Amino acid sequence: MNNNTTDGDEPLVDPRATLALLEGQQREVLNAQQAPVIWMYFIWGITWFVGFLALWSGDVDGNPWFTIPGYVATPVFIVMLVASIVASAVLGIRINRGVRGASVFSGAVYGLSWTACGTAFAVLGTGLISQGLSPELANLYFPAAYALMCGTIYLGGAALWRDVSQLVLGLVLLAVGAASSFAGSPGNDLVLALGVGGAFLIAAGTLAVRRRQGR
Amino acid sequence: MTMDELDPVIHASARLKITATLATLPVGDQIAFPRLQELLGMTAGNLSTHLRKLEDAGYVDVVKSHQGRTPATYLALSRSGRRAFEDYLEALRALLGESA
Repeated sequence: MNNNTTDGDEPLVDPRATLALLEGQQREVLNAQQAPVIWMYFIWGITWFVGFLALWSGDVDGNPWFTIPGYVATPVFIVMLVASIVASAVLGIRINRGVRGASVFSGAVYGLSWTACGTAFAVLGTGLISQGLSPELANLYFPAAYALMCGTIYLGGAALWRDVSQLVLGLVLLAVGAASSFAGSPGNDLVLALGVGGAFLIAAGTLAVRRRQGR
Repeated sequence: MTMDELDPVIHASARLKITATLATLPVGDQIAFPRLQELLGMTAGNLSTHLRKLEDAGYVDVVKSHQGRTPATYLALSRSGRRAFEDYLEALRALLGESA
């Protein structure tokens, strides 16, 4: 054994325990980076699930079991949406805090892509409405556009960070977002609540379980 | 190869954890001292002591800068530090009969 444990360090005599210490530390670092991602998936899962169920239940042609007044359903959706955007911004900043260098550019572009794409889709929708897009079709366009936006950006994230969870989530969001239009309005709200909300919640649950299992 | 022959600069639990943590950073990235301290759960004094040994061995690059008026220290594995960590990991796995 080398004389390298004189500074209060635990002696490293067993190669297996040494490797476990090394891998355990790296896993902890990755877990610390992943925790905000799990929270983001969870928050957006709740927002899509509850928010779109509220919108679906706020339409007389929607939820067959009960109806929520529109003046309740729409604000519920908007408040959840705004809260999720704020939470994402805060959590997003925490993911790579204290780090600077080459990857900061990638992270900044990724962060900017949410704002830029979100604004572009909103402007496009507004333009379409100004050109005569009906409220029924606008109800199909906006949520689908945002599901497609999330799906596309997650595919970019998967490529940037070789992240399988973002790849799977991105593909599911693209499929659900595109297919939701066939359900018509307000059926599309139910499709998005279950499909997109469900996908986010399953992703959050899967990552949380895997994290607990130390994988 | 025995445990005694492993790189003594890395082969101490605190420095092993430090190098393992720095090795998770992509090449070209640096981490702030307080964040590294948080990820390691070490005291500032203990971390400084071990970082100095790693810096003396040429394994860690220490960049001192300012954020406004506050001094900030950023750290990263040097090229030789990253290579030494990879060699250490390979040697450890070889000891366990695992191929790299």
